[in-house]
Parts: sequence; structure tokens; C-alpha cells
Amino acid sequence: MKKEIQTSNYSLPVTKVKFQYLFIVLTFCTLSFVHSAFGNDHLKQKVIINLSNGILETSIKGKVKDENGQAMPGVSISIKGTNLGTQTDITGSFSLNLQNGQNELIFSFVGYETQQFRVGNQTLIEVSLKPDVKSLDEVIVVGYGSQKKLTMTGAVTQLKGADLVRRPVSNLQQALQGQAPGLTVLDRGGEPGRSSATLRVRGITTFSGNSSDNSSPLIIVDGVEQTLFNLNPEDVENISILKDASSTAIYGSRAANGVVLVTTKRGKSGKIQVSYNGYYASQQSVNSPENMGLEDYMRYQQLASKNSGIAIPARYTDESISTWVSSSDRDKYPLPNTWFQTVLKPAPQQSHNFSISGGNDLSKTRVSLRYLDQDGIAANYGAKIREVRINNDLSLNKKIVFSTDINYRFNQSYRPFSTDVFNRFFHGTLFAAPKYADGTYGLSPQGFNPLMIAEKSGSNNAETHYLFGNIKLSYQILENLKFTGQVSGVMNYIETKAFQNAFTNYDAVNARTYSVANNTLTESRDRTTEITTNYLLNYSKSFKKHEILGLLGFSEIFSTASTLNAYRERFYNNSIQSISQGANDATKNNGGGEYKFGLRSTFARLNYAYDNKYLFEVNGRYDGSSRFTGDKQYSFFPSFSAAWRLTQENFFEGLPAFNDLKIRGSWGQTGNQTVPLYSYFASLSQGSYVFGGASVPTFSQTSLADPTITWETNTQTDIGLEGQLFNNKLNFSVDYYNKRTSGILLALPLPVVTGFATSTQNAGVVDNKGWEFSMGFRENSHMIKYNINGNLAINTNEVIDLKGAGPFINSSYDLDPRYIVKVGLPFNAHWGYKTNGYFQSASEIASYPTIATGTKPGDVKFVDLNNDGKINADDWTMIGNPFPKYTFGLTSEFSYKNLTLNVLFQGAAEVDTRLSGALSEIGIFEGFTHKLVTNNYWTPENPNARFPLPRKNDQRNVNTSDRLIIDGSYVRIKNLQLLYNIPSLGLKTLGLSTAKVYVSATNLLTFSKLNEWNLDPEADSGRGTYYPQTSIYTVGLSLNF
Amino acid sequence: MKNIIKNTFIILGISSLAITSCKEDILTTIPNDRVSTEVYWRSDLDAKYAVNAIYSALDGTNLFVLDGITDIGHTNTVFTVEYNIENGTYDASHSRIQSEWQNLYRGIFLANYLLENVDLVKTASNTAIIDQYKSEARSLRAYFYMKLVALYGDIPLITKNLSPADGLKIARTKASDIWSFVDKELTESSSLLPLTYSGAEKGRITKGSALALKARAALWSGNYATAATTAKSVMDLNVYGLIPEYGKLFTYANENSKEVILDKQFLAGSATHNAFAFMGPYSQKTSSSSFVPSKALADAYPMKNGKDITDPTSGFDPKSPYNNRDPRMKFTMYVDGDLLPSGVLFKPIPGGGGADEIGKTQYNTTTGYSLKKYVSSEDYGNPGASGLNIILLRYAEVLLTYAEAKIELNQIDQSVYDAINLVRTRSDVGLPPLNAGLSQSELREAVRKERNIELAFEGLRLFDIRRWKIAEKLMVGKVYGITYPTGTSFTTVELPSVVRTFDASKHYLWPIPQKEKLLNPNLAQNPGW
Repeated sequence: MKKEIQTSNYSLPVTKVKFQYLFIVLTFCTLSFVHSAFGNDHLKQKVIINLSNGILETSIKGKVKDENGQAMPGVSISIKGTNLGTQTDITGSFSLNLQNGQNELIFSFVGYETQQFRVGNQTLIEVSLKPDVKSLDEVIVVGYGSQKKLTMTGAVTQLKGADLVRRPVSNLQQALQGQAPGLTVLDRGGEPGRSSATLRVRGITTFSGNSSDNSSPLIIVDGVEQTLFNLNPEDVENISILKDASSTAIYGSRAANGVVLVTTKRGKSGKIQVSYNGYYASQQSVNSPENMGLEDYMRYQQLASKNSGIAIPARYTDESISTWVSSSDRDKYPLPNTWFQTVLKPAPQQSHNFSISGGNDLSKTRVSLRYLDQDGIAANYGAKIREVRINNDLSLNKKIVFSTDINYRFNQSYRPFSTDVFNRFFHGTLFAAPKYADGTYGLSPQGFNPLMIAEKSGSNNAETHYLFGNIKLSYQILENLKFTGQVSGVMNYIETKAFQNAFTNYDAVNARTYSVANNTLTESRDRTTEITTNYLLNYSKSFKKHEILGLLGFSEIFSTASTLNAYRERFYNNSIQSISQGANDATKNNGGGEYKFGLRSTFARLNYAYDNKYLFEVNGRYDGSSRFTGDKQYSFFPSFSAAWRLTQENFFEGLPAFNDLKIRGSWGQTGNQTVPLYSYFASLSQGSYVFGGASVPTFSQTSLADPTITWETNTQTDIGLEGQLFNNKLNFSVDYYNKRTSGILLALPLPVVTGFATSTQNAGVVDNKGWEFSMGFRENSHMIKYNINGNLAINTNEVIDLKGAGPFINSSYDLDPRYIVKVGLPFNAHWGYKTNGYFQSASEIASYPTIATGTKPGDVKFVDLNNDGKINADDWTMIGNPFPKYTFGLTSEFSYKNLTLNVLFQGAAEVDTRLSGALSEIGIFEGFTHKLVTNNYWTPENPNARFPLPRKNDQRNVNTSDRLIIDGSYVRIKNLQLLYNIPSLGLKTLGLSTAKVYVSATNLLTFSKLNEWNLDPEADSGRGTYYPQTSIYTVGLSLNF
Repeated sequence: MKNIIKNTFIILGISSLAITSCKEDILTTIPNDRVSTEVYWRSDLDAKYAVNAIYSALDGTNLFVLDGITDIGHTNTVFTVEYNIENGTYDASHSRIQSEWQNLYRGIFLANYLLENVDLVKTASNTAIIDQYKSEARSLRAYFYMKLVALYGDIPLITKNLSPADGLKIARTKASDIWSFVDKELTESSSLLPLTYSGAEKGRITKGSALALKARAALWSGNYATAATTAKSVMDLNVYGLIPEYGKLFTYANENSKEVILDKQFLAGSATHNAFAFMGPYSQKTSSSSFVPSKALADAYPMKNGKDITDPTSGFDPKSPYNNRDPRMKFTMYVDGDLLPSGVLFKPIPGGGGADEIGKTQYNTTTGYSLKKYVSSEDYGNPGASGLNIILLRYAEVLLTYAEAKIELNQIDQSVYDAINLVRTRSDVGLPPLNAGLSQSELREAVRKERNIELAFEGLRLFDIRRWKIAEKLMVGKVYGITYPTGTSFTTVELPSVVRTFDASKHYLWPIPQKEKLLNPNLAQNPGW
């Protein structure tokens, strides 16, 4: 007897789109074609399953649930070894008859792990399916294509967009922090609307500095070079970080610093999805350093004057101190420094993202809208972003897909005219009342007040219009051959307007005046346009155990830029801010420039896999750049890689714990073409001189031109091991790399008797070597699921050759950080004196060289490293490394029922920070003095104090030395998010399919030696004059309709 | 098949859009923001513009810095790098030691660049003007060499532009040979230069400029006979003379006056300097008093009757120390009670109130004096952008050079007295003439003092105290400022934590810059460094 089971035709529940929501969104963008992209094609599925009847039959019933305990309809159930099976109904239930010997069921559902189940003697079974987070078929985006993770031979880390939006980052660079081994993100404060984070892939490879973009990875968004900063994190589908030469060489001359590939979200076939993600956040300064207490500070200053043999200033006499301390009139007798407490305030930040996506076989669309509004924690700072992105895919026929994408972003950022605000928190603003009751500001003896600067100095506004347009066409010419053509344009247009107010502030209490006589306006317009054309031919062929993939490509980039700026002054008043209203006389000024740059490339890739076991890949790119001339114009960048999947070998079958284990290795070369434009042209600069009261032109050669200038070349070897274990619950990867950058453009110093100080040549060599580890574990049981992913990178950097030149010391000024580029040391190592405590007695001073005459007990004992009896520049040595050796991150997610907790730890170790300015001078000049110094400075009674003898106007103890280097290692809870998934009951009536609310906190807790200084460990060495790092507390809502 | 044709058609259609944009060769991008050397040296104008560029390397406000680190000045803030030079606590890595060297050799490069290329544009018809340009270049180059040799002693002598490779091995030439070279260059070029220029060419090197520079070089190098005869030849040109009012020398009205022999020219609105903001008192739009006169300069001004203030019969009254003094004092520096360009009075006395009080801000004068020369009330409206020409060599110096050389030669005659007295008796200075019959050493003392106060803060003092070998006496110990009444007694401002040291065995020359020496092992170092 045959039994026929026919499950009812059913369709996935189609959510009724609440048209009022859609209407709001649509009118928002008034894009009519969006509508046309949406069909009403319901997913239809009709399954007929035959179950043959035997003599012995067991009837079983069961239920299938998802990870949240919700019933799962439509799950396919098949009986192992047969082609028979059934599906669950709308309540997740099923029933089946098993014949004798049929004991194993296979449950499968798209997006979930396939699960085998041994029935045994049970007749009522319950199965829970786990989402397939990391299936074996995972596809990784690589240069000009994608590859299966299993058969990749390069070192690539891919991140999912969903993992990057857990905290309210206004800037995608910040979102990458702690997520991927080998990607170091230095996040230097949170000024709204300005990029403050730098990205480094596997260390620093070139000499143009820690902060320069020349060491930044190439950022490719949807096949086109763009910037990461400001990209809407909600639009990101995934991000691939290409690290080794095998994965980067396909980008040739631009790939030396690694490549970051971003793919944005696109519409998918299926029901229309409308979603909203938004949050409201409060930003607060992480740190608020406090000055020494009033009396402590005044006594300290008195002592400092005495120690330096200076007459005690009137303010610090005993009499004055007692008046000051006992007074309650803090207008007349202000506290020394309260700026962190009085100028900074919590500031709101909000973000709203709408997206609509959907489509059918013919067309797919995704539209997203973004609004971000971020206030600053000091007056007149802020930023706003408005953005729309439309990604369309149109299938002209079965072979041709035509994609058109548009992204427009309008970014406004504000700051006060003077960027001196944060500098003045520390410097030259002692004993000034922040603001009097009448609205005027107190002025320090130097005439400054940061609150006044923030509130009154004027405005500096930048408005950036960013437009990206892309058309792409793919044509499946033959079954194995596909052509893709892409043309895209990027235009970035920045208008900046810096208006300096004319104003006078009279501090009546101290009879001091600060005034800016003339108001001024500087406007600038900067435009960059870049057209990229890519043509790709992809070939794939499998036969027997062989698999071949081929790629042939051609690419052109042409970029033009122009700048224009204008200046006028003396406007009618501070509100009249149009350039035409400034004085029309000789003070007006304008300037501008034009730049062009072109790159033409052909490239190819060949992959060969034998039996999915032995994998090989060859890449090559031939790049021509307008930055070079003659036979230096073109260069070739090859790479080779191979991998061996041990788990495919027979001998590995005895180790069933391993689902996959792969050893891979690669070697290749990439280039860095970031040479200043036109550097091979010997040219004359125009200037002016005056004769007889009239301006005359001058022409002079200002730099040496070298027509032999060429790319910097990066040669990298990488060996990696990666695998998955225990049913793919555990995954890990280990990489070792050795990267040598040679021909680094170096401004080799010339004897200035030649008329030039430097000559730029391909001269330097730097090595970066390191290890990268990552490991992830996940467990999804019935109610609880969790996953933990950790990563650690170790990088060592060494300057190998400077062609006999150098060492290059960036600054000889003693009071600021001094860096050196020297063979055998890491790039830009801290350079200065070693110290050995304090001199404790006159006899000790007499028997050891001192840095200056008049040294007293309590002064710093600088080490005479070369034993020449003098303390001078010859005694300088490496005292620290500003680039972290270890960087690490740990993300973990725990879910219980509808609650999910997500924590990101992130940190760095073996990194050194050099405090400078007021932070290190501790009261020598007229600056902030940290309360840490209180009663902790050298006196005869306290000879083991932490800080030296107080001195006034005498910098002998604060010359750059190891005393001023602070271990910048840290671990911080970068983000903590608690999310509640509102159960579906009740949502449907609102038209919602899912709704989530969350709270999160960013930069919640930090462990670092810099905490005692109330400084952020991610801050750069120096005077602390940056916009402070913030912690952000957020409430967010995520809705899907 | 139909499909393939259709698809191909679609692709071609779309690709053509892209291809039409690729007209020019994207790899050949010619800059349009600069002039390539390939197209230069085609016309007279190219030569002229290249000569003009050399003038840009002349000293401007730099002169104040040079005087600011001598006995008559003081580096006002401790964080200004020259503070260490003034104190004698500098070494070969000091940025100023490097930058002065670098700027002077940059000027030499510009001159050599012209001299090497200018013949490319020489034709039969423009020989005279090309010769003039060459002579201007050679004279300016001599100016740079004079300063170099006086600051550093033996130095590389470069008369043709060096390749980087040659620059790495060039050795020093003896100072005496440099002086000979300077002398020869100025002698030869003076014969090819015009006496004067008209209108729009004013400010170029003249015959007189070359000769006056030659006289200065001869004096500095101790070649007194040449100094005297050359100075005399400048006097005999009958082109130059003193203007009647010392107090107006450094104003717009007297630019290009007959007293100016060489200057660096500026123009408000286009080529400006910041003398006012750089040197003016703090109350004047928060100017920074970067270098201030010291007590040593103030006390050098005699009474109006010609007597030193230390002379009990001079009539000096410590209660009103600025009255009845040599008028050049108040023309050169702001002293207590002077009217400032803003209309307020200069009040530096501690505790006296007012914006310029000593110690009130770190930019306030620390000595209680502030420079007035070039801090012109005409620039008050725009203190950072003065167009006032800065004089590098003026006729008064030629007179004093003549006198000093004759005195050193012990050829004392009436012409010596005349030269000095011309300077002393200028109509708004009005000091009595020197007494007749002074001995050589008395006259030497007199001419040195005259030179100090006449030319204060004009960039010569550093070279003078070096060649007179008096720096070892003047550049030691504490630095002092104003003296002011406190009750019944007087207090003299003593600058905190400034104790100058001067090692006569080394400090008469600056060291060869460390960077330069590291690059070029053939550069020997000066003694003591």
C-alpha cells in the first residue's frame, strides 16, 4: 500500500506592509522607481513526498523549533537513506511513519544548520534548529570577486555588517576596532564629523608618519576606491580585510598597506522588508583631569620660585595664599584650573535609518535613508549627516544583470573658529574665572579662556557633498564565462567657511582685555572627482577532480581635483558672513590649484584546486601611473599562494573532531604609489618681491626633481593555519607574516649647502613581522546560545635601511615628543634621555654630569649614556615605541530567550605614550598641574617622591626622557549592549515582524596606567590638545515590518 | 543566437557611454600649477625674475633676532629657541644654528643658479642688462658669504651649484680666502652696476651698495685700509647722505631715502613682515615683544649734553631717567611713559597696572623696555603685515665704518671727527660734537659707542662684539631691565633665571650645524665644539 502525504500548499506569511510607513519613507525620497522594483511575487513551495509503506511501521510525531523556541514551519524532514520525507506545518509540527530500520531523520531549513536526529524508540520528538552562522559554504569577498572560504589560499578576515553596528559609531573606522586581527585602529577622540581614527593593516610600512594617509589601507567600496569614514554602517553587508600579498596583489600599486573591501547591502528576492534602526545617545567625556587643589598648588608654586631663585610672585606670597584660600569670591579669587569641569557637558547624539528592500526575479532594490545628528561635548562642536543610498539590480534577461547604485551624502560639521579650545584647557589659562554673571569671561594672565574661545571665537563649518554613482553590467556569455563591466564616479565636494568673530572681552575683575580687532572669513571649495572603469572576465570550469577559476581584468582610474579659496576681513558685523561683504582692498586674497592623476591596470588571477584538497592561486597586476615617468611608469606586482586541506586526506579521517583544517602559504609583491603628484617635474615656484613700492615676480627652484622616482615595493610572505572543529563550533586561524617594504620614499637630507634640504628618493627599507591569532566558539542549545570570538595580533616593526642617511629626528624641541627614524629601531621610536632617579645630595651632583648648571638635590639625574662627562644629545636613546606591539579584541554574545548581551573588549599592549606640554611640565610654566603631583614631589623630607624638585621657568627636569614615557597598554570594555527581542505576540497587529530594543554603553570601563592622569590611552603622545574621547550611552530601537 | 546579438548590442550600448569619457591619455598629466625648468631661461624676463628671487633671501625681521641675542637685547621668553644662544647653552644641533646656515646657503644657491644659467638668454643687445643682473647676483652672494664667514668662520665656498653627491663631500675654505673672495666679487660687480635706479627698480643693488658692502666686509675682516678707502669712495659718490630726522628713518615716508644704501623691500598687502606684532609691546594688539632691549642698551645712551649717565656731572636724574637723554633712545625703544601707537602710555613698572606691566603675561616685556624702531604707529592697524622696508645698510654706517677704519689705522684727522660728528649732530639728534684731540683709544671707544646706539637693533651688534672681542665681557652673568623708584630707593629689574655664560675659546664662532656635519664627514668642526 502506498500512502501519499501531501502537505498543503502554503506560502510564507507575507507581512502586510503598513502603507502609512511606506508612504512616509517614500515621500521622504520621492523615488518613484523604487515602487516599480517591488513585485508581489509570493514565495511558493509545493512539496509532495512519498513515503513507502513496509511491513513494520512506526508512527512518530514531533515539533521543530528555532533558536528562540519559536515553532518553525516549512522545515524539510527526510529519512536518511531514502528520498522520503515531509515538512512541518504552520505550528512546527510534523508526523511521519518510519519503516523498519529507518531510524535517522535529517532536518533542514534554509539559513539553519542541517541536523541529523536518531529516533531510537521515541515516538514524540522535539528538535531545535540552529542558525547556520558560518556554514561551510561561506563565501568571502576578495578582490574583484568572491571565493569559498574553504578553498581560499589568502589571509582574509571578513566581518559582517551586523557586527559593526552594535555601538553608535558615527564613523565606520571606529566600528572596526577590535574586530579583526592585524587591523589596528587608533581611535583618537570623538570630534563630531571629523575623521579621528587611523587604520593600519599589519603595521606601518612607510615613512610618511603615523598619522598620514600614506600608511592607510586601500578602501574599496563596491569595487571602487572610496573612503571608509562616513560610510553608513547600516548599509554595510560585509567587510573583508585583505592582509597577505596573495589577496592584495590584485590591487597592485595601491595595496602595500592592505586592502579593505566593503560590500553594501542589496535588495533580495522575496517579500518587501521595511526596517527602521535608530538610537538616541548621550556622549560624555571619558576623562576629566583635575588640577592640584588651590592651596596645594599655590604653595607648590611658591616653593618652585624659591627653588629656582626667583622672587616669589605676588600671588604666591603667604599673605596672598591665605587671602585666596579663605575667600569665597571665586570671581575675584578663581581656582587655578577648572576647564574640564566647566567647559565640557554631556551631549546628545541621534541616528535614524530607514530602509526598504525587496524585489523579484526581474528587479531588486534596496533604498536606505540615514539621518545622524551629533552634538559636541563643548560648545559649537557638532555634525549632521543626511544620506540616501539606492542599490538596484535589474535582470534584463537570464544572462544580463544591470545594476545601478547611487549614494548621496550631505555631511555638515561644525567647530569653533579657533581650534585652540582644548590646548587652552591645559596651557596659559590659570586663575581665570570661566564666566562671570554678566556674561563676560575671566581672562588668565596670558589673556586666554577656553570657554570664551569655544563660545565666541567664531565658526568653522565644513559641508561635504558626496556623490557616488555606479553602473555595472554582468553578462553570462557562456555557462563558464562571465563578463562584468563597471563605470563609476565619485565626487566629493567640500565647502568650508571659517569665520573669525571680531569681539572684545573685558575682564573687569582683572582689568584684562582680549580682543580680536578684525573679523575675517576664509572660504574654500575643494572638489575631487574620480572615474573608475573596470572590465572583468571570469571563467570557471570543473571537471573530474579539477576546478579552475580564472579572472582577467582591465581597470582605469582618472582623478581630478581642484581647490579654490578666498579670504576677506573687516565685515560690517559678525553676522554678515558673505565673502562679498568683506573689505574690498589689498587684504583680500585668493588661491587655488588643480591636480590630475591616472592609473591604468591590467590584472589576472588563476585558481586551481585538485579534489578540493590542493589549492593554488596566482595573481598579477600590471600598473601604470601618471605619478611616474619613463620606464618607471609601469610596474608588475605578482603573487603566488597555495593551500592544503588536511581534512580531505584519508589519514585525517581518524580525527573526526576536525571539520576542516587547512595550511596555506603565500608570497607576493605590492606597491605604494603615494608619491606627491608631479614629483618628477623639475620646476620653479613663483614668488614675489618688491622694488620701488611695486610687487615683482620671482622664480626659483624650490625642490630637486628626480625622474627615477618609483613605487615603494612591499614583499610579503605569509603562512597560515586555519580550521574548524567540533561540528564547526570552534574555529581558529593562525598567521605568521614577514613583510619587507623597500624603496620607501625618503626625503634624504642633503647638505643644505646644495641649496636644498632634502632630496626625495626610493631609499628606505622597513620590516614588519608578526603573528595573528583568532579563535571563535559558539554554542546554541535550546534556550541559551553564546559565541565568543577573540583575536590577537603581534607586530614588530624595524627600520632596516636608510641608505646611510639618518637617523631622522623629527623635533629637537625638548618639551614635546621626539621621534626618531633609525636603523634597527621601530619606525618613529620615542627618543630621549634615560634617567636614574633624582640627585639626592650635593656630593652626588658634584660627582656626576648634570644637564644644566645650578642643579640641586631633587633634580632629575639624566644618564650620561656615553660616559663623556656631558649630558647632551649624544646621550639620547630609544625610550619607547608609540605603535602598539600587541592589539587584541574579544567579542562575546550571550542569548537567553529574548535577551542578548553583547560585549566587546579591546586593547593594546607594549605601546608607549609621551606626555608633554603642561601634563609633563607640572607647573614649571603657566600650565595645568595635575593633582597627581600633590605632595608627591621631591623635598628633603620626601626624597623618594614621584615627581622632581618643583622649579619655575626652568625646563631642566622635563627634557624628553623615559620619566615622561607612560606605558600606554590598556584593556577596555569598548562596548556593552543588552538587547531585548520583543516576542512576536502582539507585533503582528502593528505590522511588525520583529522589534528589538537595546541599551548600550561605549568606552564603559578602561584599565590603563593613563587612568591616573585622566587621559585616554588611545590618545596620541603630546600635549593632550585634542577633542576628548567620549563614552556613549545609547538607547536604540530596531524594527522590521 | 538572437539572444547573443541582442545581449551584445546592450553591452556595446552601455560600454560606449564609458568609453567616450576616455579621450586624453590618463597617464600623461602635465602640471599646470608650476613652471617647469624645461621652459625656463628663454627671455630677459626669466633672468630678471631669477635675480628678483635672490633678494627674497635677504634678512628681514631677522635683524632684530641677531641683536636680541647680544648684550643690548634679550630673548623675551624662555621658550624661544634663541634663549639658549643668548645664555651660551646651545650646541651644534640648535635649530637657529642650522636655519641661519641654511637660509644663507639657499641665497647662495639662488645666486649661483642665476649665474650658471643667465648666459643662455644673453644676446648682443642685452649684454648690459645681463651684466647688471650678474653683478646684482654676485653682490648678494657676497652679502650672504660675509654673514656666513662672520658667524661660522671657515665655510664651504660654493660658486657653482653642487650636485647632491658633491655636497656630501665639500670641505671648508679658510675664512681669509672667503674674505678675499667677497672683496673681489664686490670690487668687480661694483664696476658694472648703475649708480641709481629709477622708480620701479629702486631697491636693486647699486654701485654704492656693492661698495658699501665691500667697506663693511673689509672692516669686519680687519682690512682697515680697504675699509677706509672704500667707505670714502661711497661718500664721494655724492649719491647718499644722512636725512635730517633719525626719528623718521624707519617710516614709510623715508623709504628709499638718500640714507638707504641697501634694504629689503616690503609692500603692505603683498609682501609683508610682522615687525610690529613680533617686536611691539603686548598691549599693542597682543604683540609679542619677542626680543627686548636690555639695560645695557638703555644705559649706553648719553645725556643730551653728550655725557655718559655714569658721569656725576651729566645731570642724570634717576627719578626721571629718560629725560634729557640722547634723543635716539626714544626713537629706538619704548620706555616708561611713552605714548604707544594705540594711544595709551607704555607702563611696564611692576605693580603699576596696565597691560604692559612686567610679568603680567608671558609675552610682556621682561626688561621693561620694548623696541620702537620699525614698530611704527602706521602699522598699528595691521600689526602682522607691515610693508615697511627693512634697512640693511645705510649711510650712517658708512660714515662710522670710515671713522673706525681710520682710527684703527691710526690715521686720525679731521675727516674722522667729521664722519662721527655728522652722525651725532643730525638735526633731530643734536648731540654736541666730539671734543677735539682725543687719543686713538678714546676715539676707538667713542666710535664704538656711537655705532652701538646709532645702529642698535639693525643686525650689526652681534658681529661688532665678536670682532671687537668684547663679547666675553658683555655676554656673562645676569640680565637687567629698568630701574624704578620703590619708596625712597630704586629697584632694578633683574631677569629671573638668566645667567649668561660665554666661553671665549669657542663662542666667538657658532659651530658648524650638526646635521650638516653628520652628512658630510669632510666638514671639520670649530674649536671647542
